[in-house]
Amino acid sequence: MKKLLGLVVLVSMLALLLGGCAKPAQTPKDSSAGGKKIKVVLLVNGTLGDKSFFDSANAGMQRIKNELGAETKVIEMGTDPSKWEPTLVDVSSQDWDLIICGTWQMTENLQKVAPKYPNKKYIIFDTTVDYTKYKLDNVYSILYSQNEGSYLAGALAAMVTTSKMPKANDKKLIGFLGGMNIPVINDFLVGYIEGARSIVPDIKVAISYVEDFANPAKAKEMCLAQYEMGVDIGFNVAGGSGLGQLDAAKEKDRYAIGVDSDQAMLFKDSDPKKAELILTSMLKRVDNSLFRAVKLYMEGKLPFGKSETLGLKDDAVGLAENEFFIKNVPEEMRQKLQDIKKKIQSGEIKVSTAFGMDEKTLNALKDSVKP
Amino acid sequence: MKVLLEAVFSPTFAASILRVTTPILFATLGAVVADLAGVVNIALEGMMLVSAFTGVAVSAFTGSAWIGLICGVAVASALGLLLGYFHLKLRTNIILAGIALNLLATEGTVFLLYIVAHDKGVSSSLASKVIPDWQIPIIKDIPVLGAMVGKQNALTYLSLLAVGVVYLFLYKTPLGLRLRAVGENPDAADSVGISVHKVQFIALAISGALAGMGGAHLSMGYVSWFSRNMTSGRGFIALAAEALGRRHPVGGFIASLFFGLADALSNYMQSLRVPGEFVQMIPYLLTLFALAVYSGRQMKTRRSFK
Repeated sequence: MKKLLGLVVLVSMLALLLGGCAKPAQTPKDSSAGGKKIKVVLLVNGTLGDKSFFDSANAGMQRIKNELGAETKVIEMGTDPSKWEPTLVDVSSQDWDLIICGTWQMTENLQKVAPKYPNKKYIIFDTTVDYTKYKLDNVYSILYSQNEGSYLAGALAAMVTTSKMPKANDKKLIGFLGGMNIPVINDFLVGYIEGARSIVPDIKVAISYVEDFANPAKAKEMCLAQYEMGVDIGFNVAGGSGLGQLDAAKEKDRYAIGVDSDQAMLFKDSDPKKAELILTSMLKRVDNSLFRAVKLYMEGKLPFGKSETLGLKDDAVGLAENEFFIKNVPEEMRQKLQDIKKKIQSGEIKVSTAFGMDEKTLNALKDSVKP
Repeated sequence: MKVLLEAVFSPTFAASILRVTTPILFATLGAVVADLAGVVNIALEGMMLVSAFTGVAVSAFTGSAWIGLICGVAVASALGLLLGYFHLKLRTNIILAGIALNLLATEGTVFLLYIVAHDKGVSSSLASKVIPDWQIPIIKDIPVLGAMVGKQNALTYLSLLAVGVVYLFLYKTPLGLRLRAVGENPDAADSVGISVHKVQFIALAISGALAGMGGAHLSMGYVSWFSRNMTSGRGFIALAAEALGRRHPVGGFIASLFFGLADALSNYMQSLRVPGEFVQMIPYLLTLFALAVYSGRQMKTRRSFK
């Protein structure tokens, strides 16, 4: 019995190995006659199905394939960081034209690998590589002004908490749920606080960090605590954990703001009552930004060797204006948000960023809105 | 500070503790039963996860949360038997087999999730059901107590009930006596005609079922969907709670309540600008503190015997 089991395991492992080897060999080299199809690969350092960040990148790849006619592939590298660099090396030595990866966790890997393959082109999103220290003329970095989009979310939250909307209370207290205490998340927070303050100068913000992007139960408990304290609208920026906030909102019958992808549409069919409470989502349009980058690349205009920050102007961030937003957010609030959006786009309003902000300033900002 | 005190002394805080405790408590009881029978069940985490997934998937297809719960518990219990088969029949090391089951559960549930929900992250596209909240008729009308324990998820009540049931089972029934005998000294138990393997199989099945209840609470009571690796270490915390509770159901109950308290406290303190890193430490800090106090007291009693 034991032997048989061992045999089965061995055979299946072999099959997996062979299967893994077979793929690169099969990829056809159709760079011959006619229009050359460019080959784009996306490396996901995690898995798809996070309902926010990577799924958006994946949607972008779909558009690149359908609208730009590129040959695409998405590789999920899993959650084990030790596998990421070897995969990046493997992919770099294959015949892809463009290699896309994202998040700060990939910066170091890319800084190490990219200089060794000067003929390959790389795009990294939601972070930037260090161009001063390494020779990275073949890397283009995309940063997002999540602070600008969060400014709008904060303004909306402040308007809602001081309004007479059915689920708002009389406390000037709003919530923020962060995945981890790291610069990207704090960039959301800084914009959120500034936006809220622009509407209600003495607003209070209850801030919690889950310190885990995959623990929705803990996130829910934290948000229940926030709603319990008198928060009537909260903003989640916590990847998979953030879904716990939406559950808490439903249980306490309060409002929530989603993040990255349109989280109200996610529950539209399976849980309409929850979807009603998600007034909007602060979208980080990874899909748009990747599409734009690949399009520029095909036109030969993508500026490699530098990083760009995309914001409200480029439609890379913004609030989801779905049916629930139109239905549940009063007309005058929506109008006001439009005005603010225009002011940010024109540069009239400058939103601070958490990148490069020192610990002291950030803590002072957090303390100033402490409930 | 005032806000924190207000929050902590509100009855909803007590309700929050019970809610946080429920999954840990079930798993702790599972750990106690297995450990007393001499088979350490390190696969609690995986069993919880599998049950959490099965519950959601079955409830989505049958439309009944209770059928989901029963199936989840049955599958977790079957995993217990599988662990028993590896350890007792094939003679593998039980720790290694347990680790293997945990790994299998982590990735296997994602694989199955993809098959049933076409999603590798969460099951939100499935219209799964949740175990309802129960109201205790008279208690719910008592002012403070009512808010504390008057209205909770059915599984929370069942977990409290389970403490008593497991206690009675272990200490007041013949099978419980045999189970403890097998754990204490298998050879002696064998010599008086107890089938050691049979008893250990039963213990692992019960242990799996209890862990399964905890897992189902996570995905069908606590939140309303399954997400990958959603147990995030609760099965291991249960092993710690079991050790802290001196392998006794009531001790385990107190220990898991303690973990629940620390966790709930950390959730409340976060939003009040106590540094996040410090707050994350609280559950572990309190555990170390409790262990120190506990072992200190034990040393004292030992000394007084001399």
